[in-house]
Amino acid sequence: MNFVYDDNNKYHRFGKTCLIVALSLIMFVEIWWILSLLANTNVFPNPAETFEALIDFINNGYSHQSSASIIWSSLSLFIEGFLLALVVAVPLGLFLGYSKGLNTFVTPMIEVLRPIAPIAWAPVFIYGINYSVGPILVVFIGIFFPLLTNIIFGVKKIDQSLIDAAKTLGANRTQVFVKVMVPSAIPYLMNGIKVGLGVGWMCIVAAEMYSPVSIGVGYCLSSMCQNSLWPSVFAILIVIAIMGILTTSVSEYLQKRIAKRMGIE
Amino acid sequence: MSAETIEEGKDFIVIDNIRKVYKKDDTETVAIDQFDLTIKKGELISLIGPSGCGKTTILRMIAGLLEPTEGTITIAGKECKEPGADRGVVFQDFALFPWRSVRKNVEFGMEVAGVPKDERRERADEYIELVGLGDFKNSKIQELSGGMKQRVGIARALVNHPDVILMDEPFGALDAQTRNIMQNQLVQILEKTEQTIIFITHSVDEALFLSDRVVILSKRPSRIKEIVEIPWERPRDRAGPEFTALRKRILEDLEKENVMFHH
Ligand SMILES: Nc1ncnc2c1ncn2[C@@H]1O[C@H](COP(=O)(O)OP(=O)(O)O)[C@@H](O)[C@H]1O
Ligand SMILES: [Mg+2]
Repeated sequence: MNFVYDDNNKYHRFGKTCLIVALSLIMFVEIWWILSLLANTNVFPNPAETFEALIDFINNGYSHQSSASIIWSSLSLFIEGFLLALVVAVPLGLFLGYSKGLNTFVTPMIEVLRPIAPIAWAPVFIYGINYSVGPILVVFIGIFFPLLTNIIFGVKKIDQSLIDAAKTLGANRTQVFVKVMVPSAIPYLMNGIKVGLGVGWMCIVAAEMYSPVSIGVGYCLSSMCQNSLWPSVFAILIVIAIMGILTTSVSEYLQKRIAKRMGIE
Repeated sequence: MSAETIEEGKDFIVIDNIRKVYKKDDTETVAIDQFDLTIKKGELISLIGPSGCGKTTILRMIAGLLEPTEGTITIAGKECKEPGADRGVVFQDFALFPWRSVRKNVEFGMEVAGVPKDERRERADEYIELVGLGDFKNSKIQELSGGMKQRVGIARALVNHPDVILMDEPFGALDAQTRNIMQNQLVQILEKTEQTIIFITHSVDEALFLSDRVVILSKRPSRIKEIVEIPWERPRDRAGPEFTALRKRILEDLEKENVMFHH
């Protein structure tokens, strides 16, 4: 059979991408392996040892907790923080984008808070408030700012002629807001969610390290490090990476679908 | 006096001594000055003038999207202070809602007015058919060509039965051939609806082809240079001797003013 690569064929393109991704991952594992050989220390396990520890973690969990409950513990904190950020940032962003005066008033407050790394809040919230709400608030902070700035940006970027069109079709202020400004801002909201989810996932791991009551991946990580269970530590790092990739993939997929639906491609 | 009681051909829209000054920091731009015009019910009146002379400004003031600095604009005795569904607008850049289908775009005005769903759909479909987009009711806006988009814009304005439709260079973004097709279609639609239309253009040809009257504006600040009555039957022959002679005469007059026009 004579195979000729055709860049206009989506299956060919997909196949090519898969091949390159596979090569990249193989290369990654190879480099890891070589580095761990060179390092020659039990702090840096090779891929095989890590894989073994990963299987062990998946089957047996850690510290009397099943792997599913550990992952779910982190995931539920993550979801709660995310929902909280959504509930606060969406209306706030819409109003701040809508009202110039309000925006000018609130912007300085936001700009003072924004540069503080979300992880810096972790000990403050966790020791200062409590162990269960603290980590949620850390995730909240991480997701809140990218979400808010994207929504404000989206509302500001609204095509003025769409608003004029709505008004001349008889829409009142509320209808302009609900039927024009909100839909226009949705693709930007999705972009904010995409960025926010990435940051949020980093926050949850960091926050859990401070929280002795939530037995999530962050807790496992610090506990395993303290007990020198290095292959398990690397296995957890892989779990964290996969969870992060999954959340961003899902949000990227949703973002594309919604952008298409909203007519912005 | 209400819009319904005014007969066709009677004074309907009265623009009375309008002045519009744009102020920004220290600069003042007088866009319109001492502008008077009376528009009859059921007429298609074109405003033609050089770019930047204030045509859009006049239209936006009638639409209620902009407030005059001085003077008043009334429709059937009612002052146009705010935008409303009684004055439909067709925009040069279409201004369609990209997240709504063709039908949902046309339904927008009825939706905000609280028209029940079935009636909304029925009326929207009727006007989508009227503009020749029957096969595209559920299409997305991005799937349409420029000419089709503007037909959606026209259907969206017509379906609300406004007192007047304001069109700001509606075919300006279209290629020459599509523009001719759209002009012909607009003439056909007009015969079915008796709609009052204020039409802005910078094409003498387009103005002569469509209008009952053509208002020729001077450079900024806009004054009315001349109003030309065009009593000819429609559809008009662009190549006919009357048509070409009048076009030539108007273009020459405008050139004397040293103003560039598109043909
Ligand atoms: N928002 C605005 N602020 C300041 N000047 C404006 C504004 N809109 C229009 N103008 C000025 O008013 C004049 C008339 O503009 P416009 O009504 O858009 O003209 P036309 O539609 O005939 O091309 C132009 O000189 C333009 O620069
Ligand atoms: Mg203009």
